[in-house]
Amino acid sequence: MTESLIGFGAIFVLALLRVPLAFAMGFVGFIGLGLLRGWPAAAAGAAQVIYETGFAYTLSVVPLFILMGNFVARAGLAQELFRAAYAFVGHLRGGLAHATVLACAGFGAICGSSIATAATMSKVAYPSMKKLGYADYLSTGVIAAGGTLGIMIPPSTIMVIYGIVTETHIGKLFAAGVLPGLLCAGLMMVCVAIVTWRDPQAGPAGERTPWPERLAAVRGIWGVALLVLLVLGGIYGGFFTATEGAGIGASGAFFFALLRGKLTWRVLFEVLVESARTTAMLFTILIAAMMFASFVNFTTLPGDLKGWILELGLPPLAVVGAMMVIYVVLGTIMEELSMVLLTIPVFFPIVVQLGFDPVWFGVLIVLVVQIGLISPPVGMNLFVLNALLVGVSLRQIFRGVWPFVATLVVALAIVLEFEGLALWLPSFMK
Amino acid sequence: MPTAALKRRLEALCAALAAAALFGIMWLTLFDVGGRKLVDNSVPGSLELTEMMMVLVVFAGLPLVSLRGEHVVFDSLDPLLEPWVRRAQGFVVELLCAAALAGVAWLMWVKAGNMTDYGDTSAQLKIPQGPFVYLMSVLCALTALVHLLLIVTPTPHHPPGVQNSGIPV
Repeated sequence: MTESLIGFGAIFVLALLRVPLAFAMGFVGFIGLGLLRGWPAAAAGAAQVIYETGFAYTLSVVPLFILMGNFVARAGLAQELFRAAYAFVGHLRGGLAHATVLACAGFGAICGSSIATAATMSKVAYPSMKKLGYADYLSTGVIAAGGTLGIMIPPSTIMVIYGIVTETHIGKLFAAGVLPGLLCAGLMMVCVAIVTWRDPQAGPAGERTPWPERLAAVRGIWGVALLVLLVLGGIYGGFFTATEGAGIGASGAFFFALLRGKLTWRVLFEVLVESARTTAMLFTILIAAMMFASFVNFTTLPGDLKGWILELGLPPLAVVGAMMVIYVVLGTIMEELSMVLLTIPVFFPIVVQLGFDPVWFGVLIVLVVQIGLISPPVGMNLFVLNALLVGVSLRQIFRGVWPFVATLVVALAIVLEFEGLALWLPSFMK
Repeated sequence: MPTAALKRRLEALCAALAAAALFGIMWLTLFDVGGRKLVDNSVPGSLELTEMMMVLVVFAGLPLVSLRGEHVVFDSLDPLLEPWVRRAQGFVVELLCAAALAGVAWLMWVKAGNMTDYGDTSAQLKIPQGPFVYLMSVLCALTALVHLLLIVTPTPHHPPGVQNSGIPV
């Protein structure tokens, strides 16, 4: 047990010294395993993990979904989603902020990344909000929060990685994310309503759009809606595996961008390389985390902790609740993917032992990642907005995001209490 | 500046490899699934081909990630540190990363040698696997080199997909 705790401590120290997290985890995992089992075994283990992760057919789902999101983003879809959403809710107080949430939810159905969703929407939604005189704290808060819908509403990179690491059915995870994703979006709109009720100047209403124009705005997005239905419907219906669905989705998005005349050779190359880079970055973390996990699994920590918790005889839900509190607190300062990958070897066996559904726990994990991505001081979505929106201070962004952090904590509590919200849709799958 | 030229060449080569492989995976999956679902005829060995191209996507992508400083780094302490501390820190960290990657490159080289000796091939198409593992090794070694180059010309850290989006706001 002590070895593992030293290992966790060492990763934190290395990370604080600015060693990239992947390298910190890989290092500690390798050295830990070497000290416990001898260096030849550690070397062979590391080589095997790297080899297997490189040559993994099922993992091709990751770059393919990333590619799909990037193609659609370049096709200018975000603009149209936003326009369509605005046509329906723009006349409300805070209408542009409501439209941002809706457009993020729509974009989340194609894109599996929170950062990409926030980055894309910031280009589209922020200028409009600025023009209408929205307060920066509201516009950045809602974009940062809305971006996290990208990982709850399927497809979702983090669900894919959770599914691979824990051997949970990815299609079921995707299905499980739909209702909690809509719940998050709904609660975010409530949050916008409350914020603009307290400070009406922050989000003035826009003009009402007449019905013919509303319908025209919807027509602009039917192509992608069809693609989403095909890919996700195919995966839920058992017609595709997640990997196959991702391939079809990426190809469909490619043709979609091509037909819209948005794909020059240059753009195509950029999209491909950017997707490959994101993939490589994720895989470095994944490989390193697996090396660390094989060290932790060799120590007595997972077993000790499991035994200790079972002995305490706490109500199972309280145990998971405590894990969620740990995640939310850790998420304020840690990078979320590494946080999840580091803790899964310890927490996951306990959750399974307590009799919970891994699919439900996966949805909870996504929720804490969402919260971590937007909770100051270290939240990736906030940093991305700060980098992209020159002239908006990090302080403004921090100030605006708190109500949304609270909103997502409420969503977490609801999904924690009502398992069915996550598990109802997957229950229809074979 | 020679390091800048070297960086550019490395980047162009790896980008071309990774992009071609990812595009290949996309088309392969499309034809494979399309063939299987529509005309009941899949692409032979598509699973293995995807695996081999995945190696290219991930390991040719790796030098690019390092070159652009896109690894996840906890950099919130940066503003608190004196410039000379940051330079010293950068030096040590890049050296450490280079050493780790060189170690991985060596491990994979040995593994590739073993696989070549055993004559490991893919199950269906009988494509030798050794060369791909050698490639993994070479690309890891290249990435180690990138980290050494970063000591000379550091890259600021940023999350992926943000820098080339050309945001006007």
